Amino acid sequence: MTQTAPPTEQRTAPSVVSFENVNKSYGDVRAVADLSLRLHPGETVALLGPNGAGKSSTLDLLLGLRNADSGTVSLFGMTPAQAINAGKVGAMLQSGGLMEDVTVRELVKLGCDLHPKPHPVAEVMDRAGIAQIADRKVNKLSGGQEQRVRFALATVGANDLIVLDEPTTGMDVTARQAFWATMREQAAQGRTVLFATHYLEEADAIADRVLVLHKGRLLADGTAAEIKAKAGARRVSFDLEGAIDEAALRALPFLSTIDISGRTVRIQSHDADATMHAVYGLGLYPRNLEVAGLGLEQAFVAITSAEEANAA
Amino acid sequence: MNTLIKLEITRTLRNKKFMFFSVVYPSALYLLFAASQNSTDKVKGTDLTFPALYMVSMASFGAITAVLMGNSEKIAKEREKGWVRQLRLTTLPGRGYVLAKIASAGVVTLPCIVVVFLVAAVTKGVRFEAWQWGALTVAIWAGSLCFAALGVAIGYIASGDAVRPITMIIYFGLSILGGLWMPSTVFPQWLQNIAEWLPTHAYAALGQAIELGDAPHGKDLAILVFYFLLFAGGAAWLYRKDTLKA
Repeated sequence: MTQTAPPTEQRTAPSVVSFENVNKSYGDVRAVADLSLRLHPGETVALLGPNGAGKSSTLDLLLGLRNADSGTVSLFGMTPAQAINAGKVGAMLQSGGLMEDVTVRELVKLGCDLHPKPHPVAEVMDRAGIAQIADRKVNKLSGGQEQRVRFALATVGANDLIVLDEPTTGMDVTARQAFWATMREQAAQGRTVLFATHYLEEADAIADRVLVLHKGRLLADGTAAEIKAKAGARRVSFDLEGAIDEAALRALPFLSTIDISGRTVRIQSHDADATMHAVYGLGLYPRNLEVAGLGLEQAFVAITSAEEANAA
Repeated sequence: MNTLIKLEITRTLRNKKFMFFSVVYPSALYLLFAASQNSTDKVKGTDLTFPALYMVSMASFGAITAVLMGNSEKIAKEREKGWVRQLRLTTLPGRGYVLAKIASAGVVTLPCIVVVFLVAAVTKGVRFEAWQWGALTVAIWAGSLCFAALGVAIGYIASGDAVRPITMIIYFGLSILGGLWMPSTVFPQWLQNIAEWLPTHAYAALGQAIELGDAPHGKDLAILVFYFLLFAGGAAWLYRKDTLKA
């Protein structure tokens, strides 16, 4: 995949999404800090970051629900409002509510009627997996069902860009898989899909490009594999008996950090397999061995400190 | 846009409790106010009997209650739940949302008005020419749309817990000062001078002119149209501008 360096014919077409030096603050909180990015046609892009990283703010700016303090946001070379009126954008918001006291079918029909290039109502409901709850009142749905109705509203017409804010929240595993299968179909039809998530696994499985956002800044932009390599450190801890040879431990391969306190050794490693192989190679017998992936939050810290080290 | 208007009307009609109380409330108040009044004395400063005057007042008041209370709270709630954010991701123009809300309010006020008229005619023997009944219905119904627009605007300005008190203050203030509860002729002159320019006063005056066999006054019509455009325009502007975080 070469999404980060698209072929020239894609470069000359206006970007699907373009942010140029966009800033947004709420009081003292900088939600989006000097953000510049471009999305190209046909990409499936994950906006990855922990809670409070600025994902939702970024999507709000992208959709024109809020205005940037400075910088420009454009979709297909237009303002967000123009792009929405041209029927180019479908969106599923985390904070998007639904109309109450109406049935699912009535609500989807409303969405179809408001779209300039609508799909048939039945087709939209089938795709979203809500045909069997079509006659149910919107305010009587479970969380997962509500999400599917939101998804239906985001796909009522032939959009070129689909924006999803943490779309699988509240869905069980089966629903999640079905959801992403549908999303892949949309992408296969040449649509650009942008979704926000705080699951690295989800970004890895679905996206061919991952944007990592932390404290409103764009930390990394690359393929899922590249991001995983950056953030893929593991935490290893074990206890040792007998005399501890600190120098030998500190010389272990692939270490990023090591902390020895009493009998307990705590390590962060880029390649836990190789590090442990070396531990056994020293003739040691580690007890109470634990190996765990870093949480996304810590992975971001790892990426941030790596960036800062590079800058220094 | 038409789909949204239809859907808003359907929704309102489905809300049986709201419909029932909206329709019954003004008639009950009418009976309460008019019960002790006889049907022959004229109200000071007008040429109308109490039951006839109160019929218009309570029909107007009931219509205002339904649209002001219903709209402002519903809209504030829809904003908080994020439905308005979702709608803003569609091609719906701001005026479409506001018109749909006003239309659904109109559905509630029509039965309100008709029931008050029926109660007045049956219990207090209020009698008018056929054209007057028709004109009264149309005038009070159309006038209520002005307050429906006000309800939408309040729903946008206020949020959360503030909606109800703000609506109440505006609602009672406008109703009392506009002379819906007691004829404004009992007010001191300086208050009458202010009341004259309120939308509620113009609204009640429409009906009273018709009861006296006149055409509604141009000034009252102009005042209502002015307020309608102000409220509806303001609401549509606020819809597009609304940046409330859900």
